[in-house]
Amino acid sequence: MIGVSSVGLVIGLVCGGLALALGIYLKQLRPGITGFIVCTIAGFGCSIIGGLIALFVMAAVIISHAYVDRQDPFTSRAKLEEVDFSETTAQSTMRRLANFGNTVRVSWGALVRNKAGFIGFLGVTFFLAMSAFGPLFIEYEGSAQFSRRVDGARSLFQAPSAEFPLGLDWQGRSVLSHVVYGGRILIVTSIQAGLAATAVAVLFGSLAALMGGWVDGILSALANFILTIPQFPLLLVLASVIQFTDPIQMALLFGFLNWPTLMRAVRAQVLSLRERDYVEAAFALDLGLWHIISREVFPNMVSYIAVNLIFTVRTALYGLVALVVLGIVPLQEPDWGVMIFMGRSQGALFSQEAIWMMLGPILAIALFQLSLVLFSRSLEEVFNPRLRSGL
Amino acid sequence: MMPNTTSTTPLIELRGVHRQFEVDGVVLPVLQDINLSVNPNEIICLVGESGCGKTTTGKIIAGLLGQSSGEVLVGGKPREQYTGPERSVLRRQLQIVHQDPFASLNPAHTIGDILSFPLKRHKLVKDRADLRRRIWELLTLVDLTPPGDIVNKYPHQLSGGQRQRVSIARALTVQPKLIVADEAVSMVDVSIRVSILKTLHRLKDELGLAIVFITHDLALAKYFAWEGRIGVMYLGRMVEIGPTPDMILNPQHPYTRALMAAVPEADPDITRRKKHIELRSDEIPRLSEIPHGCAFHPRCPQFLGGKCDVIVPPLLPVPGVTQTVACVNLTPATVGD
Repeated sequence: MIGVSSVGLVIGLVCGGLALALGIYLKQLRPGITGFIVCTIAGFGCSIIGGLIALFVMAAVIISHAYVDRQDPFTSRAKLEEVDFSETTAQSTMRRLANFGNTVRVSWGALVRNKAGFIGFLGVTFFLAMSAFGPLFIEYEGSAQFSRRVDGARSLFQAPSAEFPLGLDWQGRSVLSHVVYGGRILIVTSIQAGLAATAVAVLFGSLAALMGGWVDGILSALANFILTIPQFPLLLVLASVIQFTDPIQMALLFGFLNWPTLMRAVRAQVLSLRERDYVEAAFALDLGLWHIISREVFPNMVSYIAVNLIFTVRTALYGLVALVVLGIVPLQEPDWGVMIFMGRSQGALFSQEAIWMMLGPILAIALFQLSLVLFSRSLEEVFNPRLRSGL
Repeated sequence: MMPNTTSTTPLIELRGVHRQFEVDGVVLPVLQDINLSVNPNEIICLVGESGCGKTTTGKIIAGLLGQSSGEVLVGGKPREQYTGPERSVLRRQLQIVHQDPFASLNPAHTIGDILSFPLKRHKLVKDRADLRRRIWELLTLVDLTPPGDIVNKYPHQLSGGQRQRVSIARALTVQPKLIVADEAVSMVDVSIRVSILKTLHRLKDELGLAIVFITHDLALAKYFAWEGRIGVMYLGRMVEIGPTPDMILNPQHPYTRALMAAVPEADPDITRRKKHIELRSDEIPRLSEIPHGCAFHPRCPQFLGGKCDVIVPPLLPVPGVTQTVACVNLTPATVGD
């Protein structure tokens, strides 16, 4: 995922230039400038969030800004005869993009409105950006730096200073560089674990609820069986048997252990939603099963699923760090967990100047977790139409 | 067998329909031997206390529930014989408007979306202009004007009455022939009820709809179905059915009489002069323990031992009146169980 390229920057500048030109041409300077900046960043981050998707979203937002003067005939209050419905393919494409851009803007508004949630969003963005872009500015210090020993000092440990904002570790390496590089695999792995668990949970949960009968029986039994396994002891046992060297394996393992809780919740939600009157009405209107799943049931579960995704990511992150801190999985630097492990084994708990070595990763983990929790609040507002439209 | 034979084919006809549900191994006979036909452009009110099976009847009519036994004929043909595209068309002819306006519209979509889904799905509109015209038409039809104010709103931004109108408009998108209105106004403010009922009445006249109106409120039934029929249900059976004026002014079945006597009148003098009918018991038997013979006999003031608790009375015409009644004391030729 990570690996920012100069190619991305070029793409971003080109697309941003287009946005700016469009903005100037349409005399919409502000959206044009916004578009330029946003496109540049989006192109910059091409490899993290998928540049094409980001660019598409940004284009839609810019068009929705520029499109304000053209009233959508469908929603205008004028009489039918007075409305002009003729539009070319280009116009209809523009309209759709503008509609999508509006949705993005409304969602953004909902995201900003909840202050705690927005702080969480900023925090999450900060850690993602730090992991993605930090390596551009900060060099990774992998080997010991004996030359940094201060005269008369007993060790290489150092408290924060202007040169090393988070201090030095037992080998004289900058803690900051390890904090910046150490979250990358951890965050990606826990997001992968969360996605895997959520995908399985949503699929199995909906299947169990919609099909019922023996499908429901088997899937529920399986979920209950996995729930009864004490997770951490199992991880300990597994880790001693299998050598977890590949982060993907870890992600899949955490995904496998975390789907049952959400699956049971999704199943309950679908069971409740499918009995709603509007679902019954959709059956009476013969709208088809696919419509009922995708348009009637699913939109009412998105916020729930998104919030649970965040919580699964958190669980996986804690689990991953815990395994490393206990020293059960192979240690691979750089990693926040490895930093805590090394700090402990290097006596950081008992030495005043050594504490800085552990404080960095601990703060990073705690703040990232806090940001995720706060962010999940905003997600609720973004996906819930009742909250989104702002009453 | 069916007493009210008319020259036209009924839209839908229930013949000896039974429906049972199994709850924790206990079989509950919710509907027993229901015979009912709904003609085009007719209003039928189903009344009865809660648990009498009126909603189940409505759902069977709307095709949302199957019958356990008996036959449901649509357009003179058993419903099961419809397949493929024919079945879809049949489905769309029978629509339902639910009781709870807060649960019957999906909170995730705007009103415009809610109305456009069925229109697009069944290709009832050609293009966007046509879609807009149709949605505007539908919203105007149910008195939601100006439509431009409504289309972009989410259900939670509307009042209960407005939502109920949207529900009606949604049912109308597929051009149904019959609408089952299941307690459609019972959760709406009293002040708005009458105007929604008027709208429904107008739709019946303008679009030639048949309406099956399910309610527990006799006064409402009287107001709404004066030109139609009222069917009174008790514990899963139809006990009396007939033209509304006769049902109101000259009820035959002891249960219907008790119901009519219990309706409060606006004029206190009339209420005072009204003859109060004393029931033998106020308790409604449970569905799991329906009494033998006539289900009403433990409460019936005209109870005849050895007859009422043995014979299940069939729905038969009573000489001299227009209703058909299920009571052994009123119908001359009673068939043994």
